[in-house]
Amino acid sequence: MKLGTVIGRVTLSRGEPSLHGGRFLIVSPLSREQYAAGLEATPAMGKDPSLVVYDDLGGGVGDIIGYEEGAEAAQPFPSPTPVDAINCALVDEMFYHPWPG
Amino acid sequence: MQLARVEGNIVATRKHPSLQAWRLVICQPIAPGGGPEGVPIIAIDSHGAGLHQQVVISSDGKAARKAVGVDKSPVRWLVVGVVDESEPGRRI
Repeated sequence: MKLGTVIGRVTLSRGEPSLHGGRFLIVSPLSREQYAAGLEATPAMGKDPSLVVYDDLGGGVGDIIGYEEGAEAAQPFPSPTPVDAINCALVDEMFYHPWPG
Repeated sequence: MQLARVEGNIVATRKHPSLQAWRLVICQPIAPGGGPEGVPIIAIDSHGAGLHQQVVISSDGKAARKAVGVDKSPVRWLVVGVVDESEPGRRI
């Protein structure tokens, strides 16, 4: 799982039938510096390119979510589904203490 | 498998049901020189790895699904062990 900030939503007018019921979030992956800033920091863009994440938990813009990428993202679906990023967790609290060196 | 250092943990109430009761630790992959490499990764942990301890994490999704016992889980990273020594004679 990686963490990212929800920076937007995508709405489809047509989509794969297997994707119905879910929503799509635009997520900007958290950089190492943003981990240190914590959850209370102003939502900002990370360094890595943002991505679209399938969501059935109800994430909203500004939330920090944990998402999984790759083959595992399609695992929760009953039939083969073209998904390569899925929201696994809405982060409530984060305790982060970087190793000083 | 990757060498990483535990730098914290996260708490999530809304999550995939397969992650219920699992500890979610923030693991920072370690570069060959000992510094951080890339962005942190959240892994499930059954060993109780402590803060700033070195761990080995695995990206084997199938093994992680077996660990949580749910075949339809999106989980991928799990802590497979806590490191005592990363090279002979050098304590962590």
